[in-house]
Parts: sequence; structure tokens; C-alpha cells
Amino acid sequence: MKSVISLTFIYLISICEFIFSQTAKEVIQKADQLMRAKSSYSEVKMTIVKPDWSRTMGLKIWSLEPEYALIYVTEPARDKGTVTLKRKNEVWNWIPSAQKVIKIPPSMMMQSWMGSDFTNDDLVKQSSIVDDYTHKFIGEENIGEFNCWKIQLTPKPEAGVVWGKIVIWISKKEYFELKADYYDEDGNIVKTFTGGDPQKMDDRTVLTHWEMVPVDEPGNKTILDYDKIEFNIATDQSFFSEQNMKRVR
Amino acid sequence: MGTYLKLAWRNLWRNRKRTVIAASSVFFAVFLALAMRSMQKGSYDFMIDSSVRISTGYIQVHAKDYWDKRSLDKSMVLDPEVISKISKLPDVTLVIPRFETFTLVSHGNATKVSPIVGINPDKERTILKLQEKLVSGKYLTGSSKGVLIGQGLAELLKVGVGDSIVLYGQGFHAITAAALVPVQGIIKLPIPEMNKTMIYCSLSYAQWLYSAPGRLTSLSIMIDRPNRLDEVRSEVKKFFDDKYEVMTWKEMTPELVQSIEVDSAGGIIMLAILYIVIGFGIFGTIMMMTTERTKEFGILIAVGMKKTKLIMVTTIETIFISLIGVFAGIVISYPILLYFYYHPIKLTGELAEAMLAFGVEPIMPFSIAPGIFIAQFWTVLLIALLSAWYPFRYVHKLKAVEAIRN
Repeated sequence: MKSVISLTFIYLISICEFIFSQTAKEVIQKADQLMRAKSSYSEVKMTIVKPDWSRTMGLKIWSLEPEYALIYVTEPARDKGTVTLKRKNEVWNWIPSAQKVIKIPPSMMMQSWMGSDFTNDDLVKQSSIVDDYTHKFIGEENIGEFNCWKIQLTPKPEAGVVWGKIVIWISKKEYFELKADYYDEDGNIVKTFTGGDPQKMDDRTVLTHWEMVPVDEPGNKTILDYDKIEFNIATDQSFFSEQNMKRVR
Repeated sequence: MGTYLKLAWRNLWRNRKRTVIAASSVFFAVFLALAMRSMQKGSYDFMIDSSVRISTGYIQVHAKDYWDKRSLDKSMVLDPEVISKISKLPDVTLVIPRFETFTLVSHGNATKVSPIVGINPDKERTILKLQEKLVSGKYLTGSSKGVLIGQGLAELLKVGVGDSIVLYGQGFHAITAAALVPVQGIIKLPIPEMNKTMIYCSLSYAQWLYSAPGRLTSLSIMIDRPNRLDEVRSEVKKFFDDKYEVMTWKEMTPELVQSIEVDSAGGIIMLAILYIVIGFGIFGTIMMMTTERTKEFGILIAVGMKKTKLIMVTTIETIFISLIGVFAGIVISYPILLYFYYHPIKLTGELAEAMLAFGVEPIMPFSIAPGIFIAQFWTVLLIALLSAWYPFRYVHKLKAVEAIRN
């Protein structure tokens, strides 16, 4: 009996060691990979919440990492058929009512995308939470039923990143990115991402409910609810073309 | 008293040449000061007026937070009855509803970000006066479904009247606002930055395009007497609760207030220098006049004239001379200033370009506000009266015997 206990104890210690031998970077990498694939297709409900109104839009999103994405709006009726194409660092819009493709000029890149708390620039930003930051464990915390690592990300000097730092909570077992706080260069919190509602999508279990809260604008938030995600779909660059913007449904 | 006046008046015309020289030194002083002040005041009024016309109005009503956020979500619905009540307030000349936002505008491969303003075409005939700035095409009507665009913008997009451009932006509550809209007219706006960007359409079209039926972003109020600004503002404020903001142009364009203050300070220094020069001119003439009459004064005192009476007469003489100069100055400069008030000087060359870059039409307007005439009248009269101190002292100290021998 005694030996069983001691064996279990040794076993536990070795597991702990195994877990703690991971670097913060590896944890971030695993969490990042969970949500990422070479290509993906998803159906999303985006809800824009403002202090005195809110509205929900239906989106279909195709993406080919890291440079291409195409977003098709399915509802509401007045916006239906609007397409946003991200190609490298450019954003293009197809406007069905005017039958016209417009490239978003640089001066509009910081404007809100479709009225949400995301800017056009957020769509094209290519910084990677793995490669553009240095990572450090700063503690452990529980978020809901998830036991999380708290990891601080500091941008590398050469990375073109607007944030001063990011603090991310990642669940130890599932590698869910449950929360992320974005800070500006003066150390003030700018926005908070929270994730929840894990569900099986395609070949993996991921968080399907995301909320983005801009801290300086009380009462505002943008909610993303994934209804469907397919990872590693068959697609190539030719799909993300101006011509195809007019064709996708 | 009548005798003193008569005596003084006769004394003046005893030596015509002397009086005319003295009076004309006052005249030139008044004339120069008036011209300078009129030009300054005129250009400030013009800057304010043209600025409030194209942008804010003297007073503007908008929903709370609109001024900071400039979002259509902060637009407002106004009761037509309130609008008509405001337009009936004293001093209010016109109440102008506007719907302003930004849009992407595109034609061919060219895309630009432009301000778009939905206007009431009839009311704006006297305010924006776009019908006068039309280069080609037709002015808007209340139900127009076309747009007027600046000439510079038309060149950038390579469009003419009859071509259609794409407008794309966000409407009320972030609903997509997109349309293919015909260019109905091309306007030449004096300010290059506006000429290159502005789009105007009818209010009803803007409200339709931006899914905001019946909504306005601002209600601009024009008044006829700018000095009644604060009184009118507090009258207007009574119609609205704290969901609205009532602001004056001074609050909305503080940079204009500051640039006027800086310029005005410079103008006042110039004016002070001018007054000092004028002051010495008048003083010199009066001093000369006094010393030249030493013998006369001596004899008068010798035959029993009281010094106080003599002082009285010389002082009245100084006042007479000043008054003649001041009135001549006002009478002669008024028609000239009036002419320039209606026909402002058009500037050309580098100065004109600098002003255009600053967003001001390059003309040099004049003011005929009564205030500047009154101010010049009193200032110059005061200088003349201060100069009267010299003959006062002179006569007071005069010794008859020495004066006669002189």
C-alpha cells in the first residue's frame, strides 16, 4: 500500500514536471494552433452591442493563412451580399447595390469594420502572438471551471505591434485562450477579449463564443458566435480574387 | 459762455492756414485709424461669418456627445414645432437643418474619403450659396436624388455631370449605406480643401441613404447681430433638455477665436503706435500755435484779460480744431469705407494663396460697424484734449511783460 502511494506520488511529480517543463512560448503556440489551420471556413453570428442599440449580422468567412480572407454578409437584408476581401495588407469591399468593388483607402483603415469594434486594420494585421512577442508566465488563475496559466506577452522591439503588452489566460488542459487583455504603451488596458462555450467543431474542440470589449467605450462590445467551423478546407489563392467577390454566396 | 465760443471760433479763422494745418493733422489721424480698424474688424467678421456659414452656424444644436463622436448614432429627431419656434426668436434669421457624415466615394479606380452633407436646398441658397458656385449642372431641389460635388473632387474622380459615382459608408446603427448616385452638378468652392472633397445632397436623400429617416446631425442657427450670441443661445437652450447640446461658434471653433485674438492684439499694438504718432502730431501743431501767439496773449493779459478766461478760450479752440478734424475724418472716410464694404479688395498672388491654405477666401473686407467710428471719435478727441494741457500751462505761467517784449 505504501509503495503504491509513493509510486503514485512519483508519477504525479513527473507529470507536474512534464507540465512545468513547457515554456510559456510553447503554451501560446499550442493555443494558437488550436484555432488556426492552413485554411478554414466558418459561419459566424456577429452581434454589435452599443449603449442604446444592438444588431446581429450573419457572416461566412473563408480564410487561407496568413494572408487571405473573404467575408460574406448573409444578414440583415440590407447588408446581404456585401463582401470584404483581405488580401495581404489590403482590404476590398464588394457593394452589391452599386455593383462595385472598392479598395479601402489607407485613411479609412482605422475606421470600424461594419460598425463593429473591429477596425479594417484589425482584419489585415499580421502580427503573430507566437513570433512577435516574448512570453513569460506571471501566475495561475481560475476562469470559470478552467484552471489557467496567466502569460504576459511583450512585443519584440522589431515587431510592428501597437500594443504595449498583452496578458493572456490559457487553460492548462485544453489550451483554450479564455481571456486576453490588451494594453497600450502607457500600460493602460485598451480592450479585452474573452472566449467561452467550447464545442466540437470539425476535428477539434474550440471556443465558439467570443466577446471583444473596448475598455474606453463603456456599453460597447462585439460578440462573435461560431455556428460552424471547417478546418483545412480545399482552397487556394485564386478563391480570394476580385472576381470571386462578386460570385460567392 | 456764448461769448467764449464766438471768440474761440473767430480766433480760429483769424489765421486760416494755422487752423487748417492743425485740423488736417487730426483728420489724417482719424482717417488712418478708421481705415485700419475697419479693415481689421471687417476681416474678423468675414472670417467668422464665412466660417459659420460653411461649418457650424453661429449657434448649433446637436445631440449630446455628437460633437465628440461625430457618429450618426448620435443624430437626433427634432420636433418641427420646436424648429419653427426657434426660427421665430428675435435676432434669429435662419434655422438650418443639416445631416453630415463621411463616405467613401469611388469612380473607376479612384476612391476617396469625403464629407457628405445633406442640406435643405432652399434655405441654403442664402447660406452656403451653392447655386452661385455651380460650374455646370443643376442645383439641388428638396427631392433631388443626385449630388453636387466639388470641382477638385470631380477632377480627381474624373467625372462630369450625368456620370454616376459610388457612395459607400455606414448609416444609422451601422447599417451599410451604399448607392450608385448621379452627379447632378459640379461646384467650385473657394477653399481648396473643400473643393477637393465636399459632396452635397438633399436632406431627404441623405436621410434615406443613411437609413435615418427624419434624423438630423445638427441644427445650425444664423443670427443677424453677432453680439447677441449669448442671449440667443440661452433662449434656444430653453427648448432642450440635457440630451442635447447648444453650442456657439466660439466653443465649436476655438482655433478661430484664438487666431482672431492673436491678430487683434497685434492690431491694437499697431493702433497704439499710430495713436502715439498722431498724438505728437496734434501736440506739435498746438504747441506751435500757442507759442506763435505769445505776444498776443501778453497784450491781452496786459490790458486786463483774465488768465482763466484766456485758458478757456484756447481750450475751446483746441476742441474746435479736433472736432473739425474728427468730423472731416469720419465724413470723408465713411463713403470710402462704405464703398470697400460693398466692394472688398480682392487679393492675388502669394498672400491670396496663403489665405486660401488657411481656409479663408482671399478678399480684404471692411467693416462699417458704428462701434469703430465711435471709438475713433473719442480716442482722437481725448488726445486733442490732452494736448490742450500745453496752452493751459503756457498761459498760466505767462508773464505779460516778458511776453510783449518777446
